[in-house]
Parts: sequence; structure tokens; C-alpha cells
Amino acid sequence: MIALVDWIVTPLSYPFMQRALIVSLIVAAVCAVLSCYLVLKGWSLMGDAISHAVLPGLVIAYVLGLPLALGAFAAGLSCATLTGYLKDNSRVKEDTVMGIVFSGMFGFGLVIFTKVETDLHLLHILFGNVLGVTERDLIEAAVIAGGTLLVVLVKRRDLLLYCFDPNHARSIGLPVAWLHYGLLILLSLTIVASLKAVGIILVIAMLIAPGATAYLLTDSFERMLVIATAVALTSAALGTIVSFHVDGATGACIVLIQAVFFALAFLFAPKRGILRATPRLAAIED
Amino acid sequence: MSEGGILAELLVPFSYGYMLKAMWVSALVGGVCAFLSAYLMLKGWSLMGDALAHSIVPGVAGAYILGAPFAVGAFFAGLLAAAAMQFVKLKSRLREDAVIGLIFTTLFALGLLMASIWPTSVSVQSIVLGNILAISDEDVVQVAIIAGVSFVVMAFIWKDLMVTFFDENHARGIGIDTRRLKIVFFTLLSACTVAALQTVGACLVIAMVVTPGATAYLLTDRFGRLILISIGLGVGTSFLGAYISYFLDGATGGVIVTLQTVLFLVAFYLAPKHGVLAARRRRQVATEAAA
Repeated sequence: MIALVDWIVTPLSYPFMQRALIVSLIVAAVCAVLSCYLVLKGWSLMGDAISHAVLPGLVIAYVLGLPLALGAFAAGLSCATLTGYLKDNSRVKEDTVMGIVFSGMFGFGLVIFTKVETDLHLLHILFGNVLGVTERDLIEAAVIAGGTLLVVLVKRRDLLLYCFDPNHARSIGLPVAWLHYGLLILLSLTIVASLKAVGIILVIAMLIAPGATAYLLTDSFERMLVIATAVALTSAALGTIVSFHVDGATGACIVLIQAVFFALAFLFAPKRGILRATPRLAAIED
Repeated sequence: MSEGGILAELLVPFSYGYMLKAMWVSALVGGVCAFLSAYLMLKGWSLMGDALAHSIVPGVAGAYILGAPFAVGAFFAGLLAAAAMQFVKLKSRLREDAVIGLIFTTLFALGLLMASIWPTSVSVQSIVLGNILAISDEDVVQVAIIAGVSFVVMAFIWKDLMVTFFDENHARGIGIDTRRLKIVFFTLLSACTVAALQTVGACLVIAMVVTPGATAYLLTDRFGRLILISIGLGVGTSFLGAYISYFLDGATGGVIVTLQTVLFLVAFYLAPKHGVLAARRRRQVATEAAA
């Protein structure tokens, strides 16, 4: 027991670990809430696209001396709108267009990155640098994530209806176009908030796994939000502490623990777990 | 600078062995990926390329840690990913995109964790961003074998594959073993993903296996020609991209993919039949005719 307490407390005696833990928790919470909507809407890969596309925005903002968050946000949003534009005006399929746009933007970002003198570290952008989070980073992430979370929670019913059945949402007079772009904006903001903690590659996982796990466990959306958040927070806390002990990448540890939770839900979920479902099916067949 | 000076400057990359190697390996990989891209983008499987590229990272990292050939590790990781995706999709009510996203990001995180624990044997940077300018000779051999074999196989099966992808029932009717053909195709895709990983890195593989095909698709309606244009684009952009990256001191993958994207955008606007401008002209003619 004491060993366990030690195992948890030792890492947290370092200030940088405390900041890492807090920022991971913030990011995990906002990603988890968003992931529920993305899973329902079938937009899981939209997070993939937008987060890759953020790279050139970061570099350009750095060159121009603008806040990095602003550049990232603008780039993420342009990726989403450009994808929509190219799809509407050509005969190429949506997933193909999305792939072209985000990989093109990422590639271009890499090119300008090599030509610019910066103190940005590419690997920190890609995978986060949670152990180097400063107080200022922490506040920035908290403000962006908090704002995003607030908007999602206030608008949660409208967003839910839009994700679930856009036609119905339109017919009862909801501003569907606004909700569409609103969701994209919220998604971009979430990615921006997660930059420092997990980076633009691993945030993709955090935008899928909690929602997917919760989806296997419940049919009520409100409950799904709660479960997803709980899973994400637990994974963030555990992942941060584990990463200290194994001396490995923090973001990767968080993502892997989320995956373990998903695997558990996949196997043992009360109604839909594969180890639970089989006996009942057999019973029906009898 | 005199004209001769500029010319001499432009020829410099050709005088370095490593640059020559980078250029021909990139061109080879770009060509064979472009070949496959013609099929991928037609079927709406574009993101499979991305998922595969990320999923094989733990395999590549593991192979480097154990000192095994990277292609072997990548192959096993790819197989594992494909099996896991199939299994979870069949056994849960999650949408396909969520399943794909979940599994490839998890495997990628695993690769990253391995690389962070054993940083000396694996370079995350070269896995994620490619490292064609400093590729080792053993790796060149693996890449060349993969790309060469894939090219030959594709050259033999391209027509049957086309029939299969356009109309599977018809294909079966005329006696094509569509199941085997699809397995062959996905094996080739995984293999080429591994090769492309070495060239442009995990994050940009998707462009190599999607963009040239999509660009060609805007330029022609005939599939045979589409493949040729696509391969041409793949080879050209990859060769040129590697060449230009000499002057930029790196980012080979970035340059290649940027070139491919620019060409796609050009085709998007200017394609003779399917471009935006052509459509606008047609609309104009139609309104004038109506008036």
C-alpha cells in the first residue's frame, strides 16, 4: 500500500510533473467531450486531418510573430474549409480530398520549417512536450480548453441533434451550417489547446478513444459524455505517472492506457462486450 | 553569377553519391505508390494508406531495436493492424472510421513509446519524417526489392484488378479470383507503405498513395491512361522533390508532397474537362445558349 502511494506521490513532488499532470487532465477532458460527438458523427478522421494541417500555421505564425495558437487555429480551419471546397467542385471523393489537403499542408509545413530559423522543436510540435510546460502554457491551454468545453456543454443538445440527424436538425429550424462550422471550430480549438501537452499527432487518439470506449458502454448520450471524460481523466493521470516511472513519452503512455480501457470495454462491456455477448446469443439460438 | 556558374550549381546534387541514391530511390518508390494510388482513390480507401503507415511504426521501431530488417517488423505490425481493425469492426457497433482511427493511433503511440525508451536504436524523427538523404545501403536494398517486385506484380495484374475494383460481380463472372487479387493488392500496398515510410516518413505516406492518382483522375477518363499519368506524376515529383531538397538541406518528404499537392491544385483548376475553369466555361456557354 505504501509502495503504491509512493509510486503515485513521488512523481508529483516535482513541480514540472504537477504542471504536466494538470495540463494532461485539462486536455484529456476537452478531447473526451469532443470525441463523443466525433464518434457519433463519423468524423473520427477529421481530427486526424485538422491536426496534421496545423503545422504550417504554427510555423507561419512564428515567422510573423503572431501567437502560435492563432496560426494553428487558422490553418486547422482552412484545412476543413478547403476540403469542403475541393470536394464540392471536383469529382474526387471526400476522403481522398481530405488526405490530399492535410498531407499537402503538413508537407508544406515541413518545408518551411526547415527554412526558418526557430527555437521551435519539430518533435515537440508533433508529440508535445508535456514535461516542459510552463505556467503560461498551462494558462493558455486552460483558457482555450475551458472556453471550448463551456460552448460544447451549453450547446450540447443542438450539437447532438446535428451529429445524430442533420436533416431532422434542419427541419426543426436549427442553424445547421453554423453547427457544422461551429463543431469544426471547436475541434480546431481543442487541437490547439492540446498542442503543448500531447502534440498534433497523438491528439488524434485522444479525440477518438474515449468516445469510442464510452459508446460501447452506454446508450444514453449524457452518460456517454460522463464515461468518456472519466476514462480520459483516469488515463491522463495514470499515463503521466507511468511515463515518469518508465521514462517514456508521456503522450504515448496516456494514449496507450486509453487503448487499454477501450480493450477492456470491448471485451467486458455489460451489454456489448464480446466476452459477454456470446453466451446470450447462444441462449437465443437454443 | 555567370550562366555557367548557375548551371554548375544546379548540377551539384548529381555529383554526390547519396543524392543520386536518394533521387532514384524516391523516384522508384514514388512511381509504385502512384500506381497503387490510382486504385485506392477510386475505391475510397485513401485513409487506409494513412492508417497503414502509422500502424507499422511499432514494427519498424521493434525491428531496429532488435537489429532485424525493418521490412519484416513493418510487415508483422501491418498484419496485426489489419487483423485488429477487421476484428473490432466485426465485433462492435463502432463505425469503420472510428475503428481505423483508434487502432492506428494506438499502434503509433506504441511505436513512439518504444522509441522514447530506446532512443539510441530508433530515431523517431526519421520514422516520422523519412530520411532518404541518409538512408543506409541495406535499407536501399530492401526498398528497391519491395518497389521493384510490386511494380512487376502490378504490371501483370493491373487489368484484372481494374475489372475487380470497378465491378466485382462481372470480374467473378469472367473467371477472375477477386478474393486473391484483393489480398495481393493489399499486400502490395502494405509493402509499398513500408518503402514510402523510408522515403517520406509516416505522416506523408498518405500523399504518395493518394495524390498522384487523384490528380490523374481529374485529367483523363480512361483508366489505362490514368495509371500512366499517375506513375509519371509520382516519379517526376519524387525525383524532383529529392533533387530540390538538396538545396533546402532536408525535408525531402515535405518537398515531394508539396509538389504533388501543387500539381493537384493546378489540375483542379485547369484540367481540360474536369477542372473548375472548364466547368465555369461550360456553364457560361449554357447560359448564353439559353439566353
